[in-house]
Amino acid sequence: MRQESTAFAHAAAGQQRPPGGTGWLLLAPLLCWVVAFVVAPAAIMLVYSFLRRGTLGGVVWEFTLDNYAAVADPTYFAIIVRSIVFAAITTLLCLGMGYPVAYLIGRASEERRNLLLMLVMVPFWTSFLIRTYAWVTILKSQGLLNSILLGLGAIGEPLELLYTRGAVILGLVYTFLPFMILPIYSSVEKLDGALIEAALDLGAGPLRAFARVIVPLTQPGIAAGVLLVFVPALGLYAVNDILGGGRVDMIGNVIENQFKGNARNWPFGAALGTAMLVAFGLTYWVVSRRQRAVEFGR
Amino acid sequence: MTRTIRFILVAVVALLLPPGVGVAPGAESLNLFGWSEYIPQSVIDEFTEETDIEVNYEMYASNEEMLAKLFSGATKYDLIQPSEYVIEALVKEGKLEKLDKAQIPNLKNIAPEFRGLPHDPNLDYSVPYMSGTVGIVVNTDKVKEPVTGYRDVFQEKYKNRIVILDDPLEIVTWALHTEGLPPNAVTKENIEKVKPLIASWLPLVKVYDSDSPKTALLNGDVDLGIVWSGEAAILYNEDKKFTYTLPKEGAHRFIDNLAIPKGAPNKAGAHKFIDYVLRPEVSVKISKEFPYTNPNAEARKLLTPEERANPASYPPGDPKLDTFRDIGENAVLVDKVITDLKAQSGS
Amino acid sequence: MTAVHRLLAAWTGLILLFFYLPIAVLVLFSFNQSRLNVVWTGFTTEWYAALWRDTLLVRSLKNSLIVATATTAISVVLGTAGGWLLYRYRYRAASVLETLVFLPMIVPEVILGVSLLILFVVIGLELGYTTIVVSHVTFCFPFVMAAVQARLAGLDPALEEAALDLGATPAQAFAKVLVPYLMPAIVSGALMSFTLSLDELIVTYFTASAGTRTLPLEIFGRVKKGLDPSLNAISTVFIAATVLAVVAAEALRRRNR
Repeated sequence: MRQESTAFAHAAAGQQRPPGGTGWLLLAPLLCWVVAFVVAPAAIMLVYSFLRRGTLGGVVWEFTLDNYAAVADPTYFAIIVRSIVFAAITTLLCLGMGYPVAYLIGRASEERRNLLLMLVMVPFWTSFLIRTYAWVTILKSQGLLNSILLGLGAIGEPLELLYTRGAVILGLVYTFLPFMILPIYSSVEKLDGALIEAALDLGAGPLRAFARVIVPLTQPGIAAGVLLVFVPALGLYAVNDILGGGRVDMIGNVIENQFKGNARNWPFGAALGTAMLVAFGLTYWVVSRRQRAVEFGR
Repeated sequence: MTRTIRFILVAVVALLLPPGVGVAPGAESLNLFGWSEYIPQSVIDEFTEETDIEVNYEMYASNEEMLAKLFSGATKYDLIQPSEYVIEALVKEGKLEKLDKAQIPNLKNIAPEFRGLPHDPNLDYSVPYMSGTVGIVVNTDKVKEPVTGYRDVFQEKYKNRIVILDDPLEIVTWALHTEGLPPNAVTKENIEKVKPLIASWLPLVKVYDSDSPKTALLNGDVDLGIVWSGEAAILYNEDKKFTYTLPKEGAHRFIDNLAIPKGAPNKAGAHKFIDYVLRPEVSVKISKEFPYTNPNAEARKLLTPEERANPASYPPGDPKLDTFRDIGENAVLVDKVITDLKAQSGS
Repeated sequence: MTAVHRLLAAWTGLILLFFYLPIAVLVLFSFNQSRLNVVWTGFTTEWYAALWRDTLLVRSLKNSLIVATATTAISVVLGTAGGWLLYRYRYRAASVLETLVFLPMIVPEVILGVSLLILFVVIGLELGYTTIVVSHVTFCFPFVMAAVQARLAGLDPALEEAALDLGATPAQAFAKVLVPYLMPAIVSGALMSFTLSLDELIVTYFTASAGTRTLPLEIFGRVKKGLDPSLNAISTVFIAATVLAVVAAEALRRRNR
C-alpha cells in the first residue's frame, strides 16, 4: 500500500521509471494539447503544401508536387542559407554577450537575483515596434549615436549604421539576448560553489575553472539558450524590414509574401514551411534521442 | 504554492470566458473589416450613436490578409474594404453581394472620374471609399533638379538615397510604364522584357518600405522615393519641402472600396453604413484624418483651400493614371522575379 | 574572485545600458511634440493626456495583460509537467513527443496563425480570448519546458531519495522538493512566456476578434498613420507601473523580514 509504493519509488529515484497508469494519466493533458494544437495545424500545413493555389488565396483541392519543385529553386536555397547565417551569428553573439550576465545573476544573492531578472526583462515589455523604431532614431544618420560621435569629434561624417546588415544583427541580438540569459541563468543557479572553489584550490586559473568546470556543468542551460534563440531568430523578419530596410529577403519574408503579399500562394508558403519543419524536426529528434541515451542509458 | 494555484484558477477562468464577452445581448451589430486606421473612430462612434448599431471593427494591413481571414469563415463580416483589383477578382468569383442602390441614395455624390472603371463599371458591387496614387516624393532641400518620372528617380547619382514601396506588383508596373508597355499587361513575356530594367534599378535602392516610407524620408536617410500619395500628403503637411509628382510615364491610381461579402449577416446595416459614409460631412471628416484623394465630389467642396491644395492629395493637371487589374496566376511570377532580383542586388 | 566579479558586474552594467538605451529614447520621445514621432521637435505632455481619452489603446493593453497572464499560467503548468514527466518516466515515444512540443517554434508565425484559424473554424471555436490564449500557449510553453529540462539535466537523485527516505509520497516529494528546486527554471520560463505573449502580433491577428484586440495589434495598425507618441506614452506608463510594483513588492518583503 502506501509503504510499498514509497519503497518502489525509493528504489527507482534517480532512474527513469516505466510510465504505468499514473505516468500516462499525468501526461494526458500535454498529449491532448500537442495533438490538438500542434499536430493538427502541422497536418493542415502539410496537406496544403500538396494542393494548388486559389485565385483569392486559399487552396484548390488538386494534388500537385509543383510547390516542392518551386522550393528547390536556388534563389530560395540562398535565402535559407542567409537566414541560417544571420541566426547563427545572432546566437553566437547572444551566447558570448549573455553568458557573463547569466553567470552574475545566477551567483547573486536571492534578492539581488530577482531584481536583476526584472531589470533584464522589463525593457522587453514595451512594444517591439516602438522599441525597434527607437533604434532607428538612435542609428540614423542624424540620430543619437552619430550626433554623439560627431560631437566628440570621433568621426568627421555621419556613419551609415542604419539599413545595413550590421543593424539587422544588432536588432536581432537585442531581441533575443534575454532568451539566452534566462535559460543559462537557471543552469548557473544550481552550480555548487564548492565545486568551483575546489577547482580553484587545486590550482586552476579562473579561465581554466570556467572552461573545464563551469561550462560543462551549465551545458544544458547553454543548449536550451541556443535552441530558444536560434530557432525563433530564423523566422523573425520584422527586424530585417525595419532596421535593414527590407533590402534582402529572409526566409520569413518569402513565406509572409505568400500569405500577405500579391503572390497569394498559400501552398508554396506551406511547402516552404513544411521543409523547414521537417529539417528542424529531424535534427531535433536525432539530438533528443542522443541526449536521452546519454542521460538515462538505454 | 497558493500563488500557483491562484494563477491556475485565473487561467481557467480566462479560458472559460465566453468569446463574445462585451457585446450587449440583443443589440444589432455590424462586422466591419477594414484597413488599419482607415476609418476614424469618431465616424464609427457617431454612426453607432445615430443608428444604435454596434460596430465590431477589425483591421488588416493588406488585401491578402483580409482575404485569408474572410474566407476562413471564422467571422461573418458585413463590410470589407478591398482595393480595386481585388474587387475585380471577388466579383469574378461571385464572392460579393450586389448592392441595393435604393438603400444608398448618397451614391450620387461619387465624382464621375470614379465611375465606369474596369473593376466595377456600374458600381454594382462596390463603392469607392478613398483613392490615391503612387508617385514620386522629393526632398527639395537635398535634390534640386526636377524629377518627373521613373527614369529620373533611378539614376546613379541618387544611389542609396532612394526609398520605394516593398510591393512587387508596383515595381513591375513602374517598369512596364517606363518601357512603354501597358501597365496591366503583366504577362510572362512582358516581365522578361522589363527584368533587366528592374535589375538596374534595385541596386540603387536604400530602403524598401510599404508600411511607413515617410520615416526614412523624414529622417533624411533618403532624399527621394516612390511612395503612396497618403504618405506624401502627410510629409507635405509636415514640411513643404517634400514635393509630390506623378511620374510622366504613367502612375497607379488605387481605389479602396467598401463592399459586402456574400452571406453577410447584416446586409441592411452594411448598406446604412455605406450611405452614412457617403454623406459629405462624414466623408470630409475621413479626409481630414487621412489626406488621400476623396472620391466624394460633395465632400471635396467642404475641404479647406489648404487641404485642396495638397499636391499629393489632389494632383494637379491631367495625369496619366491607371487602376490595377486582377492578374491571376501571374502574381506568382511577379513575386518570384522581385525576390530573385532583390537577392541579386542586395548587400 | 572579486576582480572577476567586478569584471562581470561591469559587463552586466554595459549590457543593461544596451537594453535600456532604446527604452530611454522611447520614454524621451513620449514627450515629443511632433505627431509623426520621427524627429524631435519639442516637449509636451499632451500624449499622456491623450491616453486618458484613447479607450481603445488602454483596452488593448488590458487585453494583452489578460492574455499574457493566462498564457503564462497555462504554459508554466504544461511546460513544467512536460519537462518533469519526460524526465521521470521512460515513454517509448519521448523524443517524438519532445520534437512535437518544439515544432511550433520553427513553424513560421503566418503559417501557424492560418492553420490554427482553420482548425478553430473546423472545430467551431469562436474567435476570442480562448483562441488567442490557446495559440499563445502553443508556442510559449516549449520555452518553459526547455528551461525546466535544462534544470533537470544532471539532477542529483539524492535529492528526491532523501525526501522519500523521510516518508514523503511521490506527490509530496514533487511539490515540496522538486518544485522549489525547479523554481529558477519555472521563473525563467514564466518570464519568457509572458514577454513573448505580450508582444505577439502575427498569430494574434489570425486568432483575435474585434473585441479582443491586443496592444501589438493596435500599435501595428497605427504604423501607416504614424506611430504617434501616445504609443510611447502607454509603453512608458506600463513599464513605470511594473517598476513601481517591483519596488513596492521588494519594500514590502524587506519590511516583513
